[in-house]
Amino acid sequence: MQRRSIAWLAGLGSLLLAGTASAAGFWTDAAKPYAGTTIRGVSESTPPSNFVKDVLAPQFEEQTGIKVEFETTSWDQMYDKAIKDMEANTGIYDFVYIEQDIIYSYLSRDFLVDITKSLKDTPALASADFSPDKFTSFIDYFKDANGDLYGVPMEAFVKIYLYRKDLFGDPKAQEAFKAKYGYDLAPAKTHKEYQEIAEFFTQWGKDNGQELWGTTLQAHSGHPSSWYEFFESWGPTFGVYNWGINPDGWSATVAHGGSMNSDTAKAALTYWLGLLKYAPPEATASTWDEVAASFAAGRAAQGLVYGENAAWIAADDTKSGVVGKVGVALPPLAEGVQAAAESGKGYIGYYDGGAFGVPHSSKNKEAALLWLQFIGQESVQPDWAVAAPRITHTATYDDPKVQAMDAKIDGYYTLLRDSGKLFAGAPAYPFHAQVREATAPFFYQAITGELTPSDALDKMAEAAETELTNLGYRK
Amino acid sequence: MKGRGGKLILFLGWCVISLFTLFPIYWMFLISTKTRVELFSMPSFLPGKFHWDNYINVLTDSAFQGYMLNSVIVATSNALLVTVLALLATYALSRFKLAGKDNIFFWLITNRMAPAAVFLLPLFLLFTKVFVLGGISLFDTRTGLILLYCVFNLPFAIWLLQGIMDGIPVELDEAAMIDGASTFQVLTKIILPLAKPGLAVTAILTWVFAWNEYLFAATLTSVEARTITTGLAEFVTVTGTNWGELAAVAMLTLLPAVLFLGLVQRNIVAGLTFGAVKE
Amino acid sequence: MRSSTIGWLFLAPTLLILLVFGMLPFVYVLVIGFTDWNAFAAVATPHFNGVENYRRLVFDDQVLTALWLTLRFTIFAVVSELILGYFLAQLFMRDFPLKGLFRTLHTLPLMVAPIAVGATWRLLTVPGLGPLSYYLERWAGIEYRLNTYASQAFFTTVLMDLWHWTPLVTLTLLAGLSALPKDPFEQAQIDGANRFQIFWHITLPMLRPVILTTVFIRAMDALRTVDEVWMLTGGGPGAATRYIGLHIWRVVFPKTDYGYGAAMSLLTLYLTIVLCWLLYVALVARKRSGEDSR
Repeated sequence: MQRRSIAWLAGLGSLLLAGTASAAGFWTDAAKPYAGTTIRGVSESTPPSNFVKDVLAPQFEEQTGIKVEFETTSWDQMYDKAIKDMEANTGIYDFVYIEQDIIYSYLSRDFLVDITKSLKDTPALASADFSPDKFTSFIDYFKDANGDLYGVPMEAFVKIYLYRKDLFGDPKAQEAFKAKYGYDLAPAKTHKEYQEIAEFFTQWGKDNGQELWGTTLQAHSGHPSSWYEFFESWGPTFGVYNWGINPDGWSATVAHGGSMNSDTAKAALTYWLGLLKYAPPEATASTWDEVAASFAAGRAAQGLVYGENAAWIAADDTKSGVVGKVGVALPPLAEGVQAAAESGKGYIGYYDGGAFGVPHSSKNKEAALLWLQFIGQESVQPDWAVAAPRITHTATYDDPKVQAMDAKIDGYYTLLRDSGKLFAGAPAYPFHAQVREATAPFFYQAITGELTPSDALDKMAEAAETELTNLGYRK
Repeated sequence: MKGRGGKLILFLGWCVISLFTLFPIYWMFLISTKTRVELFSMPSFLPGKFHWDNYINVLTDSAFQGYMLNSVIVATSNALLVTVLALLATYALSRFKLAGKDNIFFWLITNRMAPAAVFLLPLFLLFTKVFVLGGISLFDTRTGLILLYCVFNLPFAIWLLQGIMDGIPVELDEAAMIDGASTFQVLTKIILPLAKPGLAVTAILTWVFAWNEYLFAATLTSVEARTITTGLAEFVTVTGTNWGELAAVAMLTLLPAVLFLGLVQRNIVAGLTFGAVKE
Repeated sequence: MRSSTIGWLFLAPTLLILLVFGMLPFVYVLVIGFTDWNAFAAVATPHFNGVENYRRLVFDDQVLTALWLTLRFTIFAVVSELILGYFLAQLFMRDFPLKGLFRTLHTLPLMVAPIAVGATWRLLTVPGLGPLSYYLERWAGIEYRLNTYASQAFFTTVLMDLWHWTPLVTLTLLAGLSALPKDPFEQAQIDGANRFQIFWHITLPMLRPVILTTVFIRAMDALRTVDEVWMLTGGGPGAATRYIGLHIWRVVFPKTDYGYGAAMSLLTLYLTIVLCWLLYVALVARKRSGEDSR
């Protein structure tokens, strides 16, 4: 009850700040035929989702009489449930969470309602406060070839390089580092620097009797998060893009024109696995959340961490032990990758995030469309960005509240604004989960050392092609 | 091992064994009293300062109260249903000449053997599309779970009760029949009292299986009928598994189970014989 | 014997529920097993492809490995539970203070939800942070890295199962032991048999039905273990603990490979039934011979 009343108050507060009379009027009027209905959505229980659930949903209900119900669940479960619902056309959910990497699968099956077209066809439903143009470029991932929109972004992050400012700034560490490696200790720009810093701080921890290692590593030996860390984060910094799959003929092996087992990919995997000796022992049991937790506990000097975690690691002292000590930078890159990213031929890491969309199976599409526009209004964004570190609208960056937050998290938002374009979402594959599942077992074996990086990538490339053949994409 | 010395050694031995048994549960309890920051420091066997927020957060969350209630209703109804059905079924199998009895019995048991994952899809379709009455489907209802859990609980219950039923001398019901008792009266007046320990154990174990079930509940419920085990999964998120609250929920789910266990503790050994040692 | 109509009537609700909730989905899976159906294939509707799925299965290393691992897991878990459970049941047969309390404590693990068991053991064994790995390394110098060494992961899953399910075995064996008649034992002691002889020639044969039943029930459940292992290792490291139930789950859900998953599942079910049938025949044969000799 307590949570609900706080949410209600917060909702009321932002309503007073944000809503103009006419805007509030629009929601009431437009929703008149649907008042009293309940719409249901499925989402992961993350801070951005919780803000939607606890603050925006009650506000929406207040103005429209449409009740929004949330089913929150774990990441794995969320997909199962949404896909089963849409596949069987049952209509349990009126809106679903679409992570950027699954959108192409959903689009290929025509699971989602074309928002642009629907709003054009029924102007009575279109709010003046909702405009795709006000969003950051991240919204482009949720459009089809014609530019029609299928999902309203509700979160967006980049996977970022975090480092411990206090350790990097420690004069003794700086002196020792310079003496050993011959250059100044600073956030790594190249892979060699990153590795040397990792080596240095692992030794530093040992020498000083601290539970400290050189780098976090999302290297779970039985969970796809490790696979993602390589193909979405580290691979691209070496110039391995799009998982090494060549869309021209859907090949993955070098022999057939792919690059999953190319020499660059093999070098990248060898390098990444080499970092394991500088990572805390829990690395091989770490998914995305344990990586964040390890860093927050002060067990690593640097690491690539999903942006949604950057804010609480840097600023929330109920969860994090390194508040005020966190620095944010771009990941280290191989030569030429920066240039490739700037020219649009490559990218330097993963632009992650998600949107809410309406499945065709929904039985309350109109109410759901109103709801999506409601959360897509510019006026609700700043509070949301403060509650959860996600930015989907360009104007949100300039909000004073957000700028104050930005200062606390070492300019993460500024970096997102300035360099976000260098990052990219997952490649446009409808077979995203299928190829991941087919190749991941070999990847896990590379982590445990059962397979050499080279053998693992050879097998993965072959498995990917077999899977693509089975699925009927590759002839 | 006779005499006081032997007893003492046994007692001490059991103290040590219990340490091993209890340690994981104790650890779960420790985790449930820690903040997130503390969790990632050096593991300590002793509780620090107790941090009850994990419990308070969970207990004051209306969603979790709902999950808990659903779990109680589903598990209890299922255990009762299964026990009654299994009593009837085993009575039939034990006392009547039915064609293909052994095969039926074995087929009943095989229902517990199937790997659950692949049956979720057909069940999902059945629940959402086929078992629909007047616009209401079985999906996301407690009734759906109560009926479904019979698939893995009935075989177990029948297996358990079959032996007990066979162990009750047929002469007893025959004598009652001669005195003019109906089949139903035989069942309630003769069989029921004698099978009591067995029924109690059947009820508690099927209750535990239903209470702890995860995969079916996760797939076949959404908001209304979610159970507490599926609630556990909510704590595993991209932005950090909330181990403290997860452990608190795990501890809370253990409580009712322990309570039930205490109630039937006396019967548990008498009821678990599977009747197989009657010779 | 009495009218079989009443018997069928008593059996009817059970048969009905199991037909509807057990057989109906089974038939569906049976049909799907003969189709090629992945939700995100180029052609995403199911189409009949004969026994192609089964042909693929026979050559699928991952499935064969998973089946073999599952069998190994089941054998290790059930055998060690049986030995430990027997030993503990024997201890419970004696008299000592607070016996009731100890029995309740010993039953506790049974009450923990599998998914919570997995979570607990994960917290106990996380490299570097769990007390088991931390103190084994610190005090005994043993590098215990569940997520790196396949055999450690395997034995941890066995140990976890042992912790969770030994109580059930103890209780059933205890029930069996309590129901044994006293005379043969007294006679044997008078005849001067030693402990091992008594165990081998008297206790074991008389307990055989209980032991077989226990093995049957435990094996049935161990063969379809998913929740605990999914929480503990996710099937890793590599494929070291990717037991068949977990493998099927990954194929059917994240990979949405419905047709192939159905075939895999049926093969597993078939193998389980064959295995259990053998045990069952042994059990029934024993019962029969017992009845005949009466």
